[in-house]
Amino acid sequence: MSVSKKVFDDNSKVEISVVGRFDFSLHQHFRDSYSSSNDKNVEFILNLSETTYMDSSALGMILLLKDHAESCSGKVVISKPSESVNKILEIAQFHRLLTIVT
Amino acid sequence: MVSTSRNSNVKLALVVDDSAMQCKVLSVLLKEEGYRVFTANDGARGVAMYIKHSPDLVLMDINMPIMNGYEAARKIKSLSQDNSLCPLIFITSMDSDQAFIESIDAGGDGILVRPFSPEVFKAKIKSIQRISDLYAQVKTLQQEQQNDAELAEQLMSGVIESRNYAIDRIGIIKKAAELFSGDIQLTALAPNGDINVMLGDFTGHGLRSSIGAIPLAETFRTMTKKGFSLFEIINQINHQLYDLLPTDLFLGAGFASISSHDESVYLFNAGLPDVYLFSDQGIIKHKTSSSHPPLGVLPKLLPDSKLTVVSIEETDRVVLISDGIVEARNEQGEMFDFIRFEESVKQGVLQQNVSKIVLKSVNDFCQKMPQEDDISLIDIPCGGWVQDLVSSQGVENFSVKQLNDISLSTEAAWHWQLSLTGSRLAAINPIPMAMSQINEIEGNAEHWQSLYTILTELFVNSLDHGVLGLSSELKASAEGFSQYFLERERRLKSLIDGSIELQISHYPFPSGGRIIIKIIDSGQGFDIKEYYQNKALTSDDTSMLSGRGIVLVEQLCDSLDFQGKGNIVEVSYVWTT
Repeated sequence: MSVSKKVFDDNSKVEISVVGRFDFSLHQHFRDSYSSSNDKNVEFILNLSETTYMDSSALGMILLLKDHAESCSGKVVISKPSESVNKILEIAQFHRLLTIVT
Repeated sequence: MVSTSRNSNVKLALVVDDSAMQCKVLSVLLKEEGYRVFTANDGARGVAMYIKHSPDLVLMDINMPIMNGYEAARKIKSLSQDNSLCPLIFITSMDSDQAFIESIDAGGDGILVRPFSPEVFKAKIKSIQRISDLYAQVKTLQQEQQNDAELAEQLMSGVIESRNYAIDRIGIIKKAAELFSGDIQLTALAPNGDINVMLGDFTGHGLRSSIGAIPLAETFRTMTKKGFSLFEIINQINHQLYDLLPTDLFLGAGFASISSHDESVYLFNAGLPDVYLFSDQGIIKHKTSSSHPPLGVLPKLLPDSKLTVVSIEETDRVVLISDGIVEARNEQGEMFDFIRFEESVKQGVLQQNVSKIVLKSVNDFCQKMPQEDDISLIDIPCGGWVQDLVSSQGVENFSVKQLNDISLSTEAAWHWQLSLTGSRLAAINPIPMAMSQINEIEGNAEHWQSLYTILTELFVNSLDHGVLGLSSELKASAEGFSQYFLERERRLKSLIDGSIELQISHYPFPSGGRIIIKIIDSGQGFDIKEYYQNKALTSDDTSMLSGRGIVLVEQLCDSLDFQGKGNIVEVSYVWTT
């Protein structure tokens, strides 16, 4: 499992990808991936296409990312969640809180 | 392990070497470092000395008669498992990779190859002692944490589970992944006989995730007991958790309210797997999927949130689960999943023990795989609750009609009355007087809390809207709210001729009684007919800022009537012991 980060277009877009299990053990890495992006209006793309499993603490970590993004007038888009991850997002009704692009 | 009593400030070292000369040299160096030293000349004797003295440090030669150093080290390490780390250093003249590897394999914490200078020896001892101190510190902290956690767990389950309603008939599985469960199961009886049930799953598990459980349990119980609707309870819990918990901590929760009276169950699912309704044959009659983000994420419930209503038969069962059951894995990495779960419930229904059969199926499936998440389930029978009320609560289920007959045919046991006029009305709050009257005559009881609420709400209503003529529409906005209270202050100060009359009568039953409260104000009243019509239209509107007081009172008492031109209100409150 790993967290990686790519920055596009003069810092206006940040893509964070989580590969493998997305759980509490990634807490610090995940936070580090976005905490230094403090520019205004940044779009954070959370790529979960290669995430195999996600637990409720991962949902909590996504909410922290959302808080961070909104504090700099930015937003979070969840991109291409895998089937099993999408099921968890659906149970948590996260499409009502942020944009999910399948 | 028994150790000889000693001054704990003096550290003990054990030197095991078949050369008396070597023992002597090492002893001298160790003494210079402040150690008391024991020596042994072979491995077996070394082990015996270790058991006798439990030293803080062991120095071990490798080649010795009777029992060599490796074997002695293994024995010593196996003896010291639970104790603090007793560092063991091999002292040898075999300068080979093999000796080094074997030393560590045997449990050694280091190796020192001869020849070495006294300085190198002492440096080695210091470094190893530092590690051992660190180890002891960690052990102590761990132990303290474990003790605290056990105490907290005990308190928490005392506050939460032990106060659940009807645990003899509601089946519950609770299997925590750690000492603390992040899952919580609550059951409570509403005054109208409905059974409210909640299964919650806090983010993660362990102590961190169970911290919200106590306020949650309090709110759920208190509001159920006071007769708030399930929706209001959910609304309040969401709000409370949003306020209390950090962003990344929230509660997936399923709620069910079984109403024997309506022959229905009211369901709400915010972030849990489907909530099920099973027939007595174990057939799935209904599933309610999650329709809302977990509670505590949003400051308010989403505007379109509503309960699902499903009609039930007496023999049906409602089953709630957290994701721990369906995500439990076996050695091949497969999940227990919904198909196995549904089948196991079916078997459970047929064998009349859902929780036991489901738990057994999960355990059989997972075998010895360690549990990753909290596992929980609640299984509630839909029938049998009415009879229960009759037997356990007697009078309460006397039915309100019968109670009416009694109260009409009986004389009031006592009557209390107070009229307040003008400046006295502005200055005096009659409610504490009324309460102390009731307490003095009928004794102190917890349920007077509801009566207090009823009296307060009604009195404030009569004073504000009746006597002072304030419009509650003012309160519709936040600024309006403060404006309202300023205006209220102003009118109170200049109050000359308004009046309020408060009457309380008590009609006792064999165990309990009925209290009739009548409040008459000197105000203009209001159009009662229009009020009831409006009320019928907007019955489900919980977003109103005003008018909540009356809604609350209606829930707390069994009848509420506006009389006269709307300036008289009469309520009846039944209590049982």
